[in-house]
Amino acid sequence: MSAVLATRIAEDFAAAAHASGDLQRQRAMQALTERGLPTSRDENWKYVNLRPLEKVRFTPATGEPQAPVTAQDLPAPVAHYCRYTFIDGVFAPALSAPTPNAGVLVKSMKAAAARANPISTPDLRFALLNEAFATDGAQILVEPGTDCQTCVELVFVAATEGKAGASYPRVSFHVGAGAQVGLIERHVSIGSDASFINCAVDVSVARDASVKHYRVQQTGARAIWFDTLTARLAENARYQLHSASLGALSARSTVHVQLAGERSEVGLFNVSVGGKNQVHDTFALVEHIAANARTEQSFRGISAGRARVAFNGKIIVRKGAHGTDSRQSLRGLLAGADAEIDVRPQLEIYTDDVRCNHGATAGKLDDNMLFYLLSRGLDRETAQRLLKWAFLEDVVAKIEVPELRRQIEQSLAGQLNEAAALKELL
Amino acid sequence: MLKIENLHVAVGDNKVLNGLDLEIPTGEVHAIMGPNGSGKSTLAHVLAGRPGYEVTAGSVTYDGRDLLALEPEERAHEGVFLGFQYPVEIPGVNNVYLLKAALNAQRKHHGLPEVDAFEFLNLVREKMKLMKMDESFLSRGVNEGFSGGEKKRNEILQMLVLEPRLAVLDETDSGLDIDALKVVANGVNTLRSPEKSVVLVTHYQRLLDYVVPDHVHVLVRGKIARSGDRTLALELEKRGYDWVTEDETTPRNYALHDKTASTANQDAQFRGDPGAA
Repeated sequence: MSAVLATRIAEDFAAAAHASGDLQRQRAMQALTERGLPTSRDENWKYVNLRPLEKVRFTPATGEPQAPVTAQDLPAPVAHYCRYTFIDGVFAPALSAPTPNAGVLVKSMKAAAARANPISTPDLRFALLNEAFATDGAQILVEPGTDCQTCVELVFVAATEGKAGASYPRVSFHVGAGAQVGLIERHVSIGSDASFINCAVDVSVARDASVKHYRVQQTGARAIWFDTLTARLAENARYQLHSASLGALSARSTVHVQLAGERSEVGLFNVSVGGKNQVHDTFALVEHIAANARTEQSFRGISAGRARVAFNGKIIVRKGAHGTDSRQSLRGLLAGADAEIDVRPQLEIYTDDVRCNHGATAGKLDDNMLFYLLSRGLDRETAQRLLKWAFLEDVVAKIEVPELRRQIEQSLAGQLNEAAALKELL
Repeated sequence: MLKIENLHVAVGDNKVLNGLDLEIPTGEVHAIMGPNGSGKSTLAHVLAGRPGYEVTAGSVTYDGRDLLALEPEERAHEGVFLGFQYPVEIPGVNNVYLLKAALNAQRKHHGLPEVDAFEFLNLVREKMKLMKMDESFLSRGVNEGFSGGEKKRNEILQMLVLEPRLAVLDETDSGLDIDALKVVANGVNTLRSPEKSVVLVTHYQRLLDYVVPDHVHVLVRGKIARSGDRTLALELEKRGYDWVTEDETTPRNYALHDKTASTANQDAQFRGDPGAA
């Protein structure tokens, strides 16, 4: 971390009224100061654009946003999901429609709640930043045995300019044994599109529970979005994380999943489309701690214009995690002469008797496919868009909430500069 | 309809077509036969406008227009159809969407409104029945996981939906069992009409038992070595291609023999690249 940035963060922390006297925040701040924020020299951070942070004010945005946010500004709700909206990280009851789901408790975290797992790895430093500054968030507790497959939708709205204050979305999501839950988490911008958002999500899935977690990052064209998600799975737990990265000028997501219980299963399905001068970077680490656990990881990224889209998928198989079964399919598509795509699978194995498959490709559109479509009369632009669409489709198709999938497909079609010709597909 | 004059085509440093002359009148079916590496597939691809083939001399006139000046999609709009020897799999793009997009692209070119969704499905279903294809095919990805035979049927289905004026079918019979061959042949015969022409590129005369050509041409080392009626195909089947190559006695052909070495190289290259073979 540059010395300037460190000083700025420390000053902003000292000036933040809520920070004084709060031991947990002070500890987080201290830990962050000791470790320092990452720089582009760090192996796992080399693709991200950290420079915009220098212009950010780290103190949480306070007060009403300049343009008031109304329900019409928000994404269309998804049927049967109870919506909770947060503006600049703070719960907005007027824009929320929480109907009670039996066995599910959703609370605002005005007072900083302790994290289930202390932050121990150096890649989670932005979570420390969140812990030091966040003023509110969503705490979701699901009782054991609850069946709530269409459950909670969280909408995080960034409304304040990054120069004026930051947005710290925070989610603590704990699912009891044997429960089945669906969670939608959206990140959008309204008003200023140049916000700084630093999001921290902590998930724990108890034994035999099953979670489907959908995340859509669709913040403004000049937004800076940092994100840390940690998840810990107990015995026989299942966790599916579907992520669509669409917005922001610079977005970085750090995901750390620990398969701590035997036969636990994680599915990470990530789609990222960047254009113009966007930077999308994801670092996803899955740690196999217990035996006979499974990982399925798929990434599809398209980089156009002068964008950079990066995905680093790392799997560590710890000693004792025999019977591990992991599959990685990471594919990047270059859709512009000045675009960059970085796709990187990594495996570290410290035990025998494991099965780890990985495939990674990065390339341009397939000339044979393109010629086939042209020879059938499709014009070049339509053919190219269709192929880009097809490239993403196998991962997008895994989204099991039809309305959400349609919304994401429409946004992707928009990202691919394709509104009209692909309409029929949707 | 189609007039090819003195066509020379190179792929990289290899001269594949060496002064090919061929005329296909409207309403006729012509078969083009020839040994491996003789340039049959190259001819088919050049007619469809595939990149990577350099026309170094000669001309191709289609309906009085310079075909080589048109982009691949423009050729399709004008009614030229290539049935691929190796149809490409495109996961994520479903068959029905491709058919509709292709048909609408053609209609747009001719100033017609988009096809009515209901009429379109009826049309496709009717043609699918003819090709003995299952309804489930519509929602599958283009050629995705299709068997060799299914891919070839799909090519003919696309042809029947698009109703081209000039269909160039590149070894559509290869890899088909006898039942599938009959289905494919039936599809081709359905297209036959006084307004449409078909070029059948094939190794074997088997297909020609079911789609009876008006003319048969034998392509050897990049040019037509012999032309005749359908009995030529039968003769070839009996005597093999050596009969044609050995029978060449004109001085021009001595010159061609000198290129044997480079032709052999082409063969090797084509085997490595199914798309060009």
